[in-house]
Amino acid sequence: MKYVILIHSNPEPWGHPTSDFVAEHQALPQEQRHALNADFEALLTELSDNGELVGGEALAAPSAARLYRWDAGRPLATDGPYSEAKEHLAGFFLIDVETQERAEAVAARLIGPGETVELRPTMSGGGDDQ
Amino acid sequence: MTEPELEDVWRRESPHVLAALLRRHGDYADCEDAAQEAVAAAAEQWPRDGVPDNPRGWLIRVGSRRLIDQLRSNRSRAVREETVGTAQPADAYVGPAADDDTSPGGDDTLVLLLLCCHPLLTRPSQVALTLRAVSGLPTAAIATAFLVPEPTMAQRLSRARTTLRDSAVRFEKPTSEELPARVAAVLDVLYLIFNEGYARSTGDTLLDTSLADEAIRLTRQLHAYLPDHDEIAGALALMLLTDARRAARTDERGDLVPLAEQDRSRWDAGLVGEGVALLEEVLPHGHVGAYQLQAAIAAVHADAQRYDDTDWAQIAVLYSMLDQVAPSPAVTLNRAVAVGMSAGPTAGLAALQPMVDDPSLERYHRLPAVRAHLLEMVGDLAEAERQYARAVELTSSRPEQRYLAHRLTRLRERGATGR
Repeated sequence: MKYVILIHSNPEPWGHPTSDFVAEHQALPQEQRHALNADFEALLTELSDNGELVGGEALAAPSAARLYRWDAGRPLATDGPYSEAKEHLAGFFLIDVETQERAEAVAARLIGPGETVELRPTMSGGGDDQ
Repeated sequence: MTEPELEDVWRRESPHVLAALLRRHGDYADCEDAAQEAVAAAAEQWPRDGVPDNPRGWLIRVGSRRLIDQLRSNRSRAVREETVGTAQPADAYVGPAADDDTSPGGDDTLVLLLLCCHPLLTRPSQVALTLRAVSGLPTAAIATAFLVPEPTMAQRLSRARTTLRDSAVRFEKPTSEELPARVAAVLDVLYLIFNEGYARSTGDTLLDTSLADEAIRLTRQLHAYLPDHDEIAGALALMLLTDARRAARTDERGDLVPLAEQDRSRWDAGLVGEGVALLEEVLPHGHVGAYQLQAAIAAVHADAQRYDDTDWAQIAVLYSMLDQVAPSPAVTLNRAVAVGMSAGPTAGLAALQPMVDDPSLERYHRLPAVRAHLLEMVGDLAEAERQYARAVELTSSRPEQRYLAHRLTRLRERGATGR
């Protein structure tokens, strides 16, 4: 079962890993920050070693986005950001795991202070004819 | 000899070559490397010198030599003796000649299948290793069939090799006490491969075959090795009876056609006949397991000329039996469908009520889908609409979602014109 894990974050300035630039993360004691970062790295290694990590990318700043909308019968391009919300899509992972429980456990380990992690199942081409 | 021809020889011989090497030296990763080098040597020599009379013997001989070279160069003598001493079967030094490819029982592929589905491996690793080692498929082809990048699939294989090495798993037939559980794991892996291929309308192509066809081929082999194992016959029957519907279960756009609407004249009568014959042979033995019961249900469907002729009472009984042997939400749900079809939608809804009240099934998409159907049948269109909407939100199957969304749209249109 494949899931996409979307990381919504607000690093200031925009940068990766986002935890280095998120105020709530910076406010933590140094030791705790190290532990969180180490766990993040360990998780990525684990996903990769297990053959559970399918892909993922870190995204450039929301202001670097170009937006396309339909306007009077033709596409109109403007500059980002896409939304005025505080948090923006900062990156994503695509994982392929055996169960929903495993996907939830992975998502829970990816979260740090000041960020939102969104776990969404991907649609599959398969189906039951019953 | 062309590359596809060599590919064919390799696919046919790969399990035998690997097994022959594994009997001499227990480490799977080393043997796979050596076998791979033997193929590389064949690719170089056969086009030039012609294919040897006994390609299998040739590959085993070359592979064995490479294996010995590898062990000599990779390890110091002391380490080698220690490893070889623990990893080799006792008869390794007095064993068969290098090109003798028959083990005492002649069931190389069976032992290899059992190794690939070893309980220490994760299910995705078991699947990957089976297709790699027993089917002789390249990693890239397996990755494509499972819609993941090659490095992801390579990682699953590599993890499997490491686990087998670290646990010093031996290449030998399990004891008769262990065998039933080990065979059950093989069946689950083969059925998973079958389903992965069958459930998908496109994209399960594996070179010139498909996941479903490959699963059937391996299950046939397993059945030939262990003809008295009734659940193997049951799983094979289930695959054949299900696969018989392949041409009818998708329309020209690739959309899913539900059982009720399938053109049964397009079901493959040959596969149905073979599946039914297998079942008729094993069912009287009385060791009726989950695969035989599911196959029996598929056979009842196949027996009906039209959907309306389906013997739903019989199907409800079979699902009740399945609920005893292998209980799962899907089984309970299908039983309720059968009850609804034989005793009426109100009875079906009543049969579903325990599931509706179970909070752990809150996100199980087939529950609202089935409720919506039954509610539509009793005429509670408003509630049917709500249940369809819920099912559309919960399913992660694209074809099922399209089907449900169409039903929902139709119901809403009917509601709009009726009001």
